[in-house]
Parts: sequence; structure tokens; C-alpha cells
Amino acid sequence: MASAPTTARSRPSTYPVWFFLPAAIIYSALFLAPTFASLYFSLTRWTLFNSVFIGFENFAQFFREPFLIQGLMNTVMYAVVTSSLKVVLGMGLALLLTSNIIARGYLRSVVFFPVLVSTVGVGITFTVLMHPTQGMINQGLALIGIKGPGWLTDPRLALYSVALVDVWKGVGLATVIYIAGLVAIPRDYYEAARIDGATAWQNFWHVTLPLSRPATATVITLSFIGGLRTFDLIWAMTKGGPGFASDTVASVIYKQYQAGFYGLSTAGNVVLFVLIGIIVVPLTMFLNRKQGHE
Amino acid sequence: MAGLEFKALHKTYGSVPVIKGVDLSVDHGEFVVFVGPSGCGKSTLLRMIAGLEDITSGELWIGDKLCNDVEPRDRGIAMVFQSYALYPHMTVYDNVGFGLKLARTDKAERDRKIRDAARILQMEALLDRKPSQLSGGQRQRVAIGRAIVRQPEVFLFDEPLSNLDAALRVDMRMELAKLHQDLGATMIYVTHDQVEAMTLADKIVVLNGGVVQQVGAPIDLYQRPANLFVAGFIGSPKMNFAEVTVQSIDGTMATVTSKDISSVSVAADTSRMSVGDTLTLGVRPHHLTLDASGTLVGGVSLVERLGNETNVSLKLPSGATWLVVLDGDHNLRGSQALQLAVDSSTVVLFDKTGQSLLAPR
Amino acid sequence: MKRRASIIGGVAAIAGSFVVFVIPFIFIILMAFKDKPQSALRDFSWPQGFHLWDNLVQVVTTRNWMMITAFINSALITVISVTLLVVLAAMVGFVLARRKTRMNGLIEFLILAGLMIPPAVVPTIWLMQGLKLFGTLHGMILIEVAYNLPFSIILYRAFVATIPRDLDEAAIIDGARPLDVFFRIILPMLWPVTVTNIVVQSVGIFNDFTNPLYYLPGNQNATVQLTLYNFQSQYNTSYNLLFTNILLITVPPLIVFLFFNRQIVAGMTAGAVKG
Ligand SMILES: Nc1ncnc2c1ncn2[C@@H]1O[C@H](COP(=O)(O)OP(=O)(O)OP(=O)(O)O)[C@@H](O)[C@H]1O
Ligand SMILES: [Mg+2]
Repeated sequence: MASAPTTARSRPSTYPVWFFLPAAIIYSALFLAPTFASLYFSLTRWTLFNSVFIGFENFAQFFREPFLIQGLMNTVMYAVVTSSLKVVLGMGLALLLTSNIIARGYLRSVVFFPVLVSTVGVGITFTVLMHPTQGMINQGLALIGIKGPGWLTDPRLALYSVALVDVWKGVGLATVIYIAGLVAIPRDYYEAARIDGATAWQNFWHVTLPLSRPATATVITLSFIGGLRTFDLIWAMTKGGPGFASDTVASVIYKQYQAGFYGLSTAGNVVLFVLIGIIVVPLTMFLNRKQGHE
Repeated sequence: MAGLEFKALHKTYGSVPVIKGVDLSVDHGEFVVFVGPSGCGKSTLLRMIAGLEDITSGELWIGDKLCNDVEPRDRGIAMVFQSYALYPHMTVYDNVGFGLKLARTDKAERDRKIRDAARILQMEALLDRKPSQLSGGQRQRVAIGRAIVRQPEVFLFDEPLSNLDAALRVDMRMELAKLHQDLGATMIYVTHDQVEAMTLADKIVVLNGGVVQQVGAPIDLYQRPANLFVAGFIGSPKMNFAEVTVQSIDGTMATVTSKDISSVSVAADTSRMSVGDTLTLGVRPHHLTLDASGTLVGGVSLVERLGNETNVSLKLPSGATWLVVLDGDHNLRGSQALQLAVDSSTVVLFDKTGQSLLAPR
Repeated sequence: MKRRASIIGGVAAIAGSFVVFVIPFIFIILMAFKDKPQSALRDFSWPQGFHLWDNLVQVVTTRNWMMITAFINSALITVISVTLLVVLAAMVGFVLARRKTRMNGLIEFLILAGLMIPPAVVPTIWLMQGLKLFGTLHGMILIEVAYNLPFSIILYRAFVATIPRDLDEAAIIDGARPLDVFFRIILPMLWPVTVTNIVVQSVGIFNDFTNPLYYLPGNQNATVQLTLYNFQSQYNTSYNLLFTNILLITVPPLIVFLFFNRQIVAGMTAGAVKG
């Protein structure tokens, strides 16, 4: 509009809009369209061939059935536990690995490698390691006189055991993000603080922590979204069991899908997506606003 | 053979006008320099010639071709960027030859042209290096090589030397002048540097706020500025200005006076003034000399001794501060009173609108 | 004094990390060397005899050489979808970084949405059935492309933004046609971020379990992650084979890790911080 018609030109652009096209088609067809379709199908009883509109019945069921409510609670707990552990441990490991400790290269590699390994493989391995009597973990604890719990068999514990494995596998990513954040803090701040006579603890509290806030924001956001969406690890380790003790929304979606309750499964998707929306969007806004404030 | 002709060129970004009607003609083989304060539209005008910016209205002729809608590659131009814009993933050889390759020049000829350009710029030894392995001056050479290899009719330079250190800048300036002589092509050159403009240009174009203030040979702009803006912009240090009143008019001579200057007679276009008018007098710092019978008196407030000359800030009775450049070294003390003579053959008068009142030649 | 403290700290860290992060992998390796009866004990013991080769042969030949099919499928999916991702995301990232229009806001919103929103599974299956893509390798490839585009685009856009526009313009003056600027100037310069993209995305897609589970059912279409369920049954799990299988599918990421450690870390942190 701004460019006057006197030079109306039809030269092809160096930055052609059609470069968006192939990506846009694939993304719209296989991601956006189903996402929009889910809004409708979540309101139906659905067999893939025909669908009957039933209003909010699926959602009502989600908040009526105790095992579905538990799935919802579990999802939030899982996300909270994994992301807070990843923040704390990731920060701790990053501090350790940026100090002049020996064997830094080895330690970084060892902490990071699980990030690249198959989640299902990790899940199966830890299922074996966490076996209440034959598992290596409890046998190891027995050696030092502790009677280990039924990690995956105790309904109160199962979800958190899976969360621990999630942290084991994912803390390496949090650590490298924190390392990137820590090395970006200019040395000047520490030198200024040292001249002011700050103790190591004051250094951490007043310099490191505030200045690594962008990294914290990233770790929290990433691991929160990841935590809310987790399916593969739970499926590999407990399949939501014992009973429904470690079900999450994502595993409920799969179970309802397997059982042929497509409408309910899709409603689960919408619930998950709303859950992410109402938790993660304000969370990132909060984290980023604070950061702009500094 | 390509001169250029601009007819009422306009450029607006959104609704903001940046170039507000530029008319200019450039002869073939001329070296034209655009100067003006930051943001006045020099780069924009240059990029309009290159075809990197659309022309909002007006006409751009290169040679005898109307080029408003012609692709950059078909305009017969080459451009050297301030950042050099060398392709980092290509060797110097490929950087220089990229344009030829795109034009599908055959391999043997391409090689010959690249080596010719390298020889002219004395960078044969650099051909196999990547840009990251070159110094600033060498990068500059490659950027120029990339331009000359295309044998353009018109070269465009946007502050090409501003990233170089002072000594190298002087060398490259001379090389550019020599290149212009050897190639005989038209060159259009944007710079902030007064010395570059004065030494390189056949013709300087002074721009301000998207409007051409004056076009002319460097020495003309220095001696006969068309208005206050050009007078203040060309010449370093800046011209001193004072408000004066016309005391008397005698033929082509006007005698003016002010609080600080008892009186000075200036050759001017007296038809455009009358006795009692308030005008502006412009005096260049170099055109004041120590003289016990001088008409200007002031107190020294700051002295910079450069050895071959001495820069003095002078506090005048009216409160204004003037800059004086004295030949040779003078050991002056602060607040010392100086009496100076104004070389009246070099001063310029300006009317209320800022237009100069030079006597017609 | 300080030095001694750091050595003690280092030894403690090495010991701790060894127990927590290395022993599980040693356990996997030991299990893969055992025969079925010993592996059924699931303890941390030295293998009696060398059974790795037998286990490997058995894992590979089980169910009609399913492992081989699965490796081929996974390799095809990974290679083709990563190739598509690189080309398509570079194109989008390039234009997105260079051309400022009102569309940019919308596109950026869609990219963020793609990073956050979990895919709607059943409607996707329904749509794929309509498009005859469900249960096919090419359908799976397109799914991986769609789901991973946002991350790749973010990496490319951030990188293109660091390439000065002068280079595009110099190329235009040199006579580059519109596509030349992208293919001859920008794309070659994107190489470092392309390596990052290739490495990060191929590890992710190779390890993907959930999406093939939903969109690629059937044994002849199995991917390596799904082969793990071959040796697991409620009562008679062959732990030696199961862990040999785990070992086998850990090898490709390990190789990538050994060669591209730096790019992976750079890519994951860069993408994460930008996202
Ligand atoms: N893409 C653009 N959109 C809007 N305004 C622009 C754009 N490019 C330049 N301008 C404006 O146009 C005016 C002229 O810019 P230009 O770059 O031509 O100045 P210049 O004379 O080259 O300055 P400098 O000496 O600092 O390089 C400036 O006020 C600038 O803000
Ligand atoms: Mg400029």
C-alpha cells in the first residue's frame, strides 16, 4: 500500500513468500487442522466413521470419573516435581561443572548423555532396576541396611518414581542450559562483588541467581511443557499403574484411544492443551516480565 | 558511456518522505561525492541508483536508459559497501568472480578478468584466502575488485573507507583517485569525511533532509557556499557566524558592523539588501590573522597547539565563541586578549532566509 | 589448600556421577552379555560366559528379522524427515528473518503454539486416514516434519538474523536472481546451524516412540523403539534379549554423541533459549 503505484513492479522478490508454502501446507494439514478439529470432536461420541454431538459430556466425564481426575492431578504433580527438581539439580550441576573441578569433560558428558538415549530404553532399564526385591536399587540399599520401598508397585510412590527417572534422563539438558547461562554472566559482577566483600553464598544469591534467570525461565518452561505432555516414559514403566495410580492425561488419551472412545480421548487432548495454556502461558509471562525488570 | 540523470526523484518509507525531489545530472566519467549530515538520505539515494530501493516517483536515467524498473544487474552498476559484504564462505577468487559466474561468463575469460582485477589492486597473493583471513584494507581491496571485474559504467561507494584506520584511509583514498583515472568510469561516492570529499570529487552534492542544497566543484562549495547550511557543513573547522547590520552600501561593497566587529567591507550582491538590514556574516577560522590594527577583539578561552597551526577558542564581547586557526605555533595564555584582522575577501554574507549574498562573478 | 579441596570434590563428583549415571549403562551392557537364566536374576553380576553374539543374532532374527526392517524403517524416517526439515525450515527461517510483514506476528505465534500444544492424536489419525497417509512411512515422515518444524525454524531464523543484509544486496548487485541469493549465498552460510539441526532432530526422531505408536501401527512398519516390546511379556520376559535390544538402539545416539557433542549442546541450548 505504501509503495506508490508509479513503480508497480512485478519483479520476483529475493525473499519469496512462497518459501513459506511447503512448510505451511504440511504444518497446517497435519498439525493445525487436527488441532482445530479436536475442538469439535471433543464434543462428540465418535467412531471415526460417524460422530454424534453430545455437548460437554466428555468433559463432564473427565471431571466426574475419579480415575480421570486423578490423571489430571497426576499430570500437574508430575510436571511440578520434574521441573522443580530439574531447576535445582540443573543449577547445582551447572555450578559444579563451571567451577574448576577435575574431570569436567567427563562429568559433562556423563550427565548429558542420557538426554540422547531412547526414553523407552531408559524406562525399561529402570523398571528392572526398581523392582522391589530383585531390583538393583533396593539390593544396593539393603547393603547399607535400608529397606527400599516398592518404587513402582506402591501406588503412592509410582508416579514419583517415574518422575525421578524423568529427572535422571532430563537433568543433563537443564544443566547445559544453565551452563550456557552461567558462562554468559560477565566476570565483572563477581569481581565487583568480591571487592564489596561478598561471601560465596551472597555471591550466589545476589549475582548468580538473578543473572541466570533467563536460563531458569527456559528450564522451567521446557520441562513444564515436557512434564505435562509426558507419555512414553510412563507407558514404558508403569502403563499408568498400579491401578490408575500413575496415569496422566497423556496416558489416559492413549488408553481411551485404544478402547475406541475417540471422543473422550480427544477431549483429553483438549484438556491437556487447555492445561498447558492456563499454566504455561502465564508462567512464561511471569518469568519473562521479572526478567525484563532487572 | 554512461552519465546519470535524476528527475524529481522521491522516496517515501510508509508515509515518511526521505528523498524529497532530487534533480541532478552527472556526466560520464565524473567523480561525484554525496555529503550531508547523518540521516539526510545519502545512502538511500545511492541505493535508489543501485536498484536496492524502489523509486517512489521521478525518473532515474543511467546512460540513455530509464532505469526505474530495471533490475540491479541490468543497470551497468557495481557497488562497494561500507561493511565490504564479502561472501564469507567463498575464497577471494570466488568472491571476485561471483558476478561473472552468475552472468555465465566462460571459465577462461572469467579467470582472465579475475586475475586482471587482482593485478590492478595488487592482491594476486590473496586469491586463495577466505575473507576472514584478510585485514581490513585487504577486504576493502577485494570489495573493490568485485566491483571492477564487472566493468560497470557506474561505480557506487557507500562510505567505503570509514572502517579503516586513518593511515590506511589516506592510502586507499589515493588509490581510489588513481583507479578513477585509469578506468575513466563514473563514480558516485558517499562519505562523511570532508577531506575525502574535497580531494576525490569532481563534483560535490550537499544533501540535507532529502533535499539537494548545492552542487558544485569542491573549491566552489568552499568559497561560494549557496547558503548557511553548505557554508557550515563544508570546511573544517566549521565557519564562524555573527549577526551583523548593514552600515552602508557602496556599489558592490557592503560595509557591515556588529557588537564584536567594528566594521568590515564585503563584496556582495548589494541589490538584495539595504542599509539597516540584519544579515549573517560567515568567517572561516583560517581567515582570521593576528593584527594589532584588526577589527575583531576577543579573549582566549582555549588553546590547542598542533605545531604547524594553533586552534584558539575566542570569547567575543557579545558572549559568542569563535574559533580561530592561526598559522604556526603561538604560545597563548588563557584570557589573554587578541586582536585579529578579518580577511574581507573571503567572508560571506547571508540574508535572513540563509541564502548567501555573493557578488555575481 | 584450594587445590586439594577441588581434587576431593572432583573425586566425590566422579564417584557420585559414576553410581548415578554410569552404572545403569554398565548394567545394560552386562545384561546383554548374559544368557537367559542368568539375566532373569536381574542382578548386577559378571556374565557367566560370553553370550552377546548369540543374543545379537537372536534379537536380529526374531519375528522374521523384524529388527532389520525396523532399523531400515527408522533410518528412512529419520533421514528423509530430517532432510525435509532442513530444507523447509531454512526457507521459512530465511524469509521470516528478512521480510518484515504483518504476517510475521501470526507466524511466530503459530511457531510457539507448535512448540507447546500437544498434537491432537485421534483427529490426526482421522485426517491421515482421509489423506491415505495413516500407517504409511511417508505419512509418518510428514508427521515428524510437521511436529519438528517449529524448533528448526527458530534455529534458522535466529541464525539468518545474524547474517548482514549487505550480503544479500551485494549478491543482487552482482547479478544474483532471487533464488540465487538463498541457494548460493545464504544456504551455504547456514551450514553450522544445519549440522546442529541434523544432529538434534535425527536423535529426536530416531528416539521417537509415541508418534510411531499412534500413526504407524503394524509389525512390517515397526520402528526400532517399538521393537523393545518384542521381548517383554508379562510372565516370560527374555531379559538378555531385551537389554541386547536396548544396547543396540543406544548405539546410533552414542555415535552421534561422540562425533557431534558440541553441536548437540549448542543446538539444544540455543533453540531452548530462543524458544
Ligand atoms: N527501511 C527504512 N524504513 C524507514 N526509514 C528508513 C529506512 N531506511 C532509512 N530510513 C530513514 O531514511 C533516512 C535516510 O537514511 P539514509 O540511510 O539514507 O541516511 P544517510 O544519509 O546514509 O545517513 P548516514 O550518514 O548515517 O549513513 C533516515 O532518516 C532513516 O531513518
Ligand atoms: Mg548511510
